[in-house]
Amino acid sequence: MKLQRDVYIAGVGETVFGKHKIDYDELGRNAAFQAIKASNIDSPGMIGSAYVGNAHNGIVTGQTIFKDLGVCGTTPIINVESACSAGAMAVHLAIKDVAYGLTELSMGVGAENHTLRRKSGTAFMPAMNDIETVHGGVMTGKYAMRATRYMYETGATIEDLALITQKSRRHGKNNPHAPFGGDYTIQEIIDSRMIAYPLTLHQCCGIVDGAGAVVVCSKEMVKKLGIEKPVKVRGSVVTSGPYHNRPRDITGDDITEMTSEMLYEESGIGPKDVDILELHDAFTIAELLYYECMQLCGKGEGLKFLRDGQATYGGQCVVSPRGGMLSYGHPIGASGAAQIAANVKQLRGECNGYQVEPIPKVAMSHVTGGGLSGTEHAACTMHMITADW
Amino acid sequence: MAEKKKVKKEKEPDITFYHPDLLAVPENEPPYLKGYKCKKCGQLDFPKVTPCANCWGEEFEMVPLSRKGTLYSFSDLYIGQPGLETPYICGYIDLPENVRIFAMLKGEVNTFKCNEEVELTTGPIRMNTDGLPITSYMFQKA
Repeated sequence: MKLQRDVYIAGVGETVFGKHKIDYDELGRNAAFQAIKASNIDSPGMIGSAYVGNAHNGIVTGQTIFKDLGVCGTTPIINVESACSAGAMAVHLAIKDVAYGLTELSMGVGAENHTLRRKSGTAFMPAMNDIETVHGGVMTGKYAMRATRYMYETGATIEDLALITQKSRRHGKNNPHAPFGGDYTIQEIIDSRMIAYPLTLHQCCGIVDGAGAVVVCSKEMVKKLGIEKPVKVRGSVVTSGPYHNRPRDITGDDITEMTSEMLYEESGIGPKDVDILELHDAFTIAELLYYECMQLCGKGEGLKFLRDGQATYGGQCVVSPRGGMLSYGHPIGASGAAQIAANVKQLRGECNGYQVEPIPKVAMSHVTGGGLSGTEHAACTMHMITADW
Repeated sequence: MAEKKKVKKEKEPDITFYHPDLLAVPENEPPYLKGYKCKKCGQLDFPKVTPCANCWGEEFEMVPLSRKGTLYSFSDLYIGQPGLETPYICGYIDLPENVRIFAMLKGEVNTFKCNEEVELTTGPIRMNTDGLPITSYMFQKA
């Protein structure tokens, strides 16, 4: 999207992720109210529009979240669904409203509660009208096949994949929002229950509940609100999965390659300039492939990039500084917004105990959505944001 | 007032074969998958996409696809869809017609390898709402 004027992030919010007894609307409201307070917003009337990402919790999710905050009435609240990309897409739409002058201030929220409704012990899958789903397709399987092929072509092992979990959960160890953060041995990771060969339990994101919220606004509004550390939106890109049923290289990811290219061009920031990155690490293999897809390193160099410590503290780009989905778990509609919230807190130096040093200036986020047959993913949403103070 | 006569609507039986547009199982002959070639642009697709996603052509010629292909990748699934017995195996099969098929694989876990030759077969992919198996295409080692 070509931004027609400067857009800033004023404030963000995120809940603790994990198994919650409260429903998506309360989670969403908690994150939204945190973001509202962090943005010094003092009345509901200041919010020009709100977008709410959710995947599985039913109808009018956004209005349910916002009515108790007094943000209904003349404020348009629009619900956004694109599986895992929903939360980031909600933020994208809020940015669009401000960028095109439709509003001075808008909100993007992602919220989801899976565990109140979902039976454990089964995998997520696309809808039953998808030909792959009819034939047993599940998301774990789709990623596992990428891992199988990657291992076949490169000689990588399950132990190599486990390095991703070990690195990211170490990042998330002191993050109070990330329930799976901690120190894990490679043996523990590969000895955990097999989910979809070669992906073991600790290589898969947990199914949890949570919410994230982002307030975006114009430059004038940043001044009016008195925001001391405004974060500038440098790029926001949404794409849809290229469709075909011909052989394709699944050790790459066509939609992520395309979306990141577009984001680099739009933002004028190249892959080597990104300080921190939250990406769609729903499974270990995904992160490994995405290093290459996003050109953090060359094709075939993903494992070397990881082993050389380029994806952790002191490396080229700290990948999953909040701990990633492997530490947070992945409430489908919430993750995209929560990634952006976490990135903003890193840029502002607010991550006590898990702050990247030196404090990063450039943050990127990436979340795909939906395993639709004939595509690698149905959607992809990416954001580039920078410290601007 | 005349009482309304209650007519109990018979439930239509659920499908047991998936799907005649995709798979043919002739008697005394091996099964084959049906590819569809767009008469306007010549693009061959499986499954049938109407209209043609390349040119929006609406007329197609059915082309039987090769029975043998290469297993591009696979996974042994230990946690699967609700209602499906585990473990089961799924894979991507590349056919010589430059088409990739996602299918369940018939065989044992821990036995498949990338780039192996596999062949078309049929088998139950799930149960229908009447509790009967639904037959569709599957692949096995050639």
